[in-house]
Amino acid sequence: MKCQIAQERIVAAEYSEMAGIEALELERHLEGCAECRRDREQLRALKVLADAYPVAEPDANLRARARMRLEAALDALPPRRWIERLAQRIMNGFARLQAAPVAAGLLLLAGLAAGSLGGYRLAENRVTIAAPTQRAQAAPVQAQPAVEAWEPAKDEIASVSRIVRQPNSHTVEVSYNQIVAHKVQGSLDDPAIRQLLMLGSRNSSAARVRDDSVGLLADECKAGHGCKTAGIRDALLVALHSDRNDSVREKALEGLQPYVAEDMQVRNAVLEALLNDYDPKVRTAAISILQPVEGDTSVRQVLHSVADSDRNPYIRTVSRQVLENEPEIQ
Amino acid sequence: MLARASEAELIREAQSGSRGAFDSLVRQYEQQVLRLALHLTGSEHDAEDIYQEAFLKAYRYLGNFRFECSFYTWIYRIVTNLCLDQMRRRKTRREGNGVLTDYSGEEIDLLASVSDDRSFSNPAKELERKALGERIQKALEKLTPRERTVFELKHYQGLRLRLIGEMLNTTEETAKNTLFRATKKLRNQLAELR
Repeated sequence: MKCQIAQERIVAAEYSEMAGIEALELERHLEGCAECRRDREQLRALKVLADAYPVAEPDANLRARARMRLEAALDALPPRRWIERLAQRIMNGFARLQAAPVAAGLLLLAGLAAGSLGGYRLAENRVTIAAPTQRAQAAPVQAQPAVEAWEPAKDEIASVSRIVRQPNSHTVEVSYNQIVAHKVQGSLDDPAIRQLLMLGSRNSSAARVRDDSVGLLADECKAGHGCKTAGIRDALLVALHSDRNDSVREKALEGLQPYVAEDMQVRNAVLEALLNDYDPKVRTAAISILQPVEGDTSVRQVLHSVADSDRNPYIRTVSRQVLENEPEIQ
Repeated sequence: MLARASEAELIREAQSGSRGAFDSLVRQYEQQVLRLALHLTGSEHDAEDIYQEAFLKAYRYLGNFRFECSFYTWIYRIVTNLCLDQMRRRKTRREGNGVLTDYSGEEIDLLASVSDDRSFSNPAKELERKALGERIQKALEKLTPRERTVFELKHYQGLRLRLIGEMLNTTEETAKNTLFRATKKLRNQLAELR
């Protein structure tokens, strides 16, 4: 392989866009070519460097402002005329009709497959009845486990689709999607399960999954099961900062409670939620978990500011009460 | 599967004129749209304009959506092309200054918003990290808009090259070549940092 081709392939390989024979050929070339190995190292260094310009989450203010502007623009659009709506309905119907032959073909194939399988099973049963002794001598077949073992290194997970906690136990069942759906079961202490829950906490299309994931992660943090090192605290911070579902943000707050006193980043996130969250329930929850912190006056400043000038009278009252009841808040 | 089915329902309802269904689609994708536009253009103001234009376009042309690709791909294609146009306009005006700005034109400390426990205990390291981030941003702005977009979609958004090709109305092979050129240019520009 020529070095120029190898260097093009290195980029594809380092961005996981190459597999099979091409990858093998490249590996073979790299074993014998110091220049291309250097090229690969340089590319890896660039990838590390590029991460120094991080992708920031857009803040809630920007999102709210953009949404308001869009809503105003949509309101200003003239309503669609009946002829346009009718044309749309016809087009939708036509699109469905186009898909009909495909659906019919698939049904036919499914029918053929089911028929073949039924015939095969029938024949198999007859053979079994005819030769019972042979069957008795056969080696026992190990039953397939109901829930397969999960190997995170090999799997690319598309999304987490469902979470069920076993009643009165420490076990949780997490369903996640690859090309086909999988199911995995394990303890909440299992790092693989925690990793899935963290993925679930970012499932942008299913609020229920995010709610369950963040709720379970928060419970783990409240129970003091080593959240800081495993990245769970960061997942909760992201959920509190960016999740559009009020219940998810509230649960994230609950999970962060044990870290408010010791962790400035958590404290700042809670104060930000108190100041900027658009849901009064989340803001009230933020007030309730704030604790006196020695050497950090930001808690008192924010509470004073909210107590004096917040537009929500309930939030003002609650903040005042906290300041009165806990004069030791710095 | 259920999520996909309900999204298809939402799209069909929105195609039939339901504003509520369209709003749900907006809420589902707005964070990703803003994140991509903000990182590509480096300006909250531009990101907000792109958000507005993208969803208005989506609203107008939703009737043409035929479920041949996912809605995610479709909306990303609109956003990516609007970002490309914006970057081309900016290149012509030579506005790029390597600084991320908010709505009022104030500089945003993007790196300050990223969690890094070390920076609290080491301000010098934090300054160094910030300077490095600015160097990267400047290097990215020297790429052509198309190279910048492909690198963004691959490196930062983690999309497959086939999908990137589809979004930019080109082939996977062309996207791969563009990515190669982008990484080569970036390596040359950032050589002294390594």
